[in-house]
Amino acid sequence: MASMNSVLFISFLLFSVGVAGVLIRRNVLIILMCVELMLNAANLNLVAFARHSGTVAGQAFALLVMGLAAAEVAIGLALVVALYRKKDTIQVDQINLLKG
Amino acid sequence: MDRLLASTGQYLFHIFGLMAVGGALALVFSRNAIHSVVGFLLAMLAIAGCYLTLSAEFLAVAQLLIYAGGIVVLFLFVVMLVEMTKYKEKGLFQVQAPVAVAVVVAGAAAILAVFWRTWFGPDAQQPLTLSPSLAQGLDVAHQNAQAVSRGLFAQYLLPFEILSVILLVALVGAVVLAKKERV
Repeated sequence: MASMNSVLFISFLLFSVGVAGVLIRRNVLIILMCVELMLNAANLNLVAFARHSGTVAGQAFALLVMGLAAAEVAIGLALVVALYRKKDTIQVDQINLLKG
Repeated sequence: MDRLLASTGQYLFHIFGLMAVGGALALVFSRNAIHSVVGFLLAMLAIAGCYLTLSAEFLAVAQLLIYAGGIVVLFLFVVMLVEMTKYKEKGLFQVQAPVAVAVVVAGAAAILAVFWRTWFGPDAQQPLTLSPSLAQGLDVAHQNAQAVSRGLFAQYLLPFEILSVILLVALVGAVVLAKKERV
């Protein structure tokens, strides 16, 4: 059985890779996928603490987070498609209408 | 052979976790967007394996259905819908990438210091355990789905209903956003 520390460490690694991806990539789709990755790292923590405490709350909330992530992906991808129609690009550094 | 299997089962979580991290790295650092989606798929499958080793069977199946079955396909559709070959010659990373990497490394070092203290530090804590005796409320391997559903529909009914409203809003919003504009 894995120890709690190793679960937390794996989830920490996943989360920091996700943060790095959001900060350094310029493709909107990759950024959305990295956001999903961070949500999954948080889910892993929830499941591990549910296992630790022996209650079902962590798993139930991980399920709710999954549903929320699905809604977020639907909205985000619709935004990307609308943006591509309008600006003909999905590179975040070329979407600078609000830049003074 | 039995001993090999037993010792492998002990490290199954680490194997799946490292697979997930590898998929995440492939997602961030691959040049082709399709390869990124494949790395994302690998990470999601490996995280489902992690859930299995943590005795969250229902959540593992839900992860497979929602992420590997739904979200990855959505991402693939949009990657193929949006023409990206035009931008191949442009740089992969943002201009401020070195600063961003420095920020991430600083934050990671801060969290790593916490890990170091709990592992090796002078006042190392007794690590939290994941012992099976504690997991009676989850009733491992017998009725995990029943336990989760009891938690979801009895204890946490209000968040569940709020989530259903959020999903409805997201559905309508996605249709409105992606609809062709009438001129």
